[in-house]
Amino acid sequence: MVEKVDLDTKSKVAILNGNVSLAEEIAKKAILENYDINALIDTLSAAIREAGDLFEEGEFFLPELMRSAEAMKVAMGILTPTLSQEKESRFIGKVVIGTIEGDIHDIGKTLVASMLSAEGFEVYDLGADVPVESFIDKAVEVDAHLICVSALLTTTMVGQKKLIDTLKERNIREKFKVLLGGAPVSKRWVEEIGADGTAESAISAVKLAKKLMVL
Amino acid sequence: MRNRKNILDLIKERVVILDGAMGSLLINQGLQIGIPPESWNVSNSELIQKIHLDYYNAGSDVVLTNTFGGSRLKLSAHNHGESVEEYNTKAVEIAREICPEDGYIAGDIGPSGKFLPPVGKVTIDDFEETFLEQTKILANAEVDFFFIETMVDLKEAEAAVKAAKKVSNLSVFTSITYKKTKRGYFTIMGNSVEQCVTTLHKAGADVIGANCTLSSNEMIDLIPQIRQFTDLPIVAKPNAGKPQLIGGKTEYLTSPKDFAEDIFQMVEKKAAIVGGCCGTNPRFIEKIVQRVKR
Repeated sequence: MVEKVDLDTKSKVAILNGNVSLAEEIAKKAILENYDINALIDTLSAAIREAGDLFEEGEFFLPELMRSAEAMKVAMGILTPTLSQEKESRFIGKVVIGTIEGDIHDIGKTLVASMLSAEGFEVYDLGADVPVESFIDKAVEVDAHLICVSALLTTTMVGQKKLIDTLKERNIREKFKVLLGGAPVSKRWVEEIGADGTAESAISAVKLAKKLMVL
Repeated sequence: MRNRKNILDLIKERVVILDGAMGSLLINQGLQIGIPPESWNVSNSELIQKIHLDYYNAGSDVVLTNTFGGSRLKLSAHNHGESVEEYNTKAVEIAREICPEDGYIAGDIGPSGKFLPPVGKVTIDDFEETFLEQTKILANAEVDFFFIETMVDLKEAEAAVKAAKKVSNLSVFTSITYKKTKRGYFTIMGNSVEQCVTTLHKAGADVIGANCTLSSNEMIDLIPQIRQFTDLPIVAKPNAGKPQLIGGKTEYLTSPKDFAEDIFQMVEKKAAIVGGCCGTNPRFIEKIVQRVKR
């Protein structure tokens, strides 16, 4: 029991300090010593959510958040393969994510991608400057549930509309939920172009994505 | 060679007025997504020149060259890396052609768009290299001073200041982009006002301040905080509110009058060089001039 508490504390420290090697060590130890992997992932997820909250509060900034996300990614990379072996998958859904054509800002998008993947989504991150067709083709190919489109410029936000319009033209709008990201994106814009939602932060984006999967 | 006061001497005498936005005006004029604004220095130079002239006519003492994204790192992201010299040189030339006798031309330098680890992959050396190249071209084209702005990473800002100081004796204005958090003003990298101001001061900046992201009303309280850590002149260049997409068009909702009133408040708090960032235009500058002179 002492060990379990110790591991919980250590996991939290690894994520909040963005300590990649500690995260790796914990994940490997957990597998070797047959810990409850799902419980460990819950602990790690709670820690990454806390990192997100600290960012909102102005306690954490981009470097801290990116390090935390990196530590999380490393741990999950080790832990998730064992889950599928046990047929105890935490799989929630498939997401295609990227920053829209003409826009090279990809920090926020990458963060949301890491958080989604940490929570159990299968994430296809197409990077930045992604044409509308590439989003749609990938979503169709992998049979995605969600398409997340980021735009950091009011000038590239029109690409988000184009994506929705193209989905409609191809009669596949109903196949996917479309989430919009980016500082200038408002609820009003979401309604105006007929998307399914937006969120203020990476953390609330994950919550929203999970909510939409239940619908 | 025009015979005017050094800009730092002018600052000692009175409030110096900068220009307003360039990028958002170009977008209104049809600049397409993915095309670097600097390419218009060559392909659409009359339009850039007209914007500079409108600012001088509105009362700007200084215009900033259309070279914000003119570093090799930034232009390369748009596959225009081979045009660094041409875009930067042309930018100064077209401003020079219409610059009034008593006007100034500042060589504008924005962020490279790349980040140090853990956010990105570039190194400090990459920053230094890209800014050495750009500042050298701008200095050779005879800008009056440098205006380094919209920096969200203090390390990048510092590299740019050092580069600018290395290539010439010109004055270096440095402006950081802060966001307002519950704990105060910080860059997105977590640099505090104190860290930014003291580091830039040490690096040799001649003027220190803030621009972008913050609306004019949000920037007022920042000025005394900067003043706390330096005696250098302070520059303030806020946005005209937050951008909103209304009916397919980007709108900034702060009016020129309210903006000018906020700027006046900053001048009262000892901002010495003022202008506008995103969403502003020559009408904002006119109002600032009226308000500050009143």
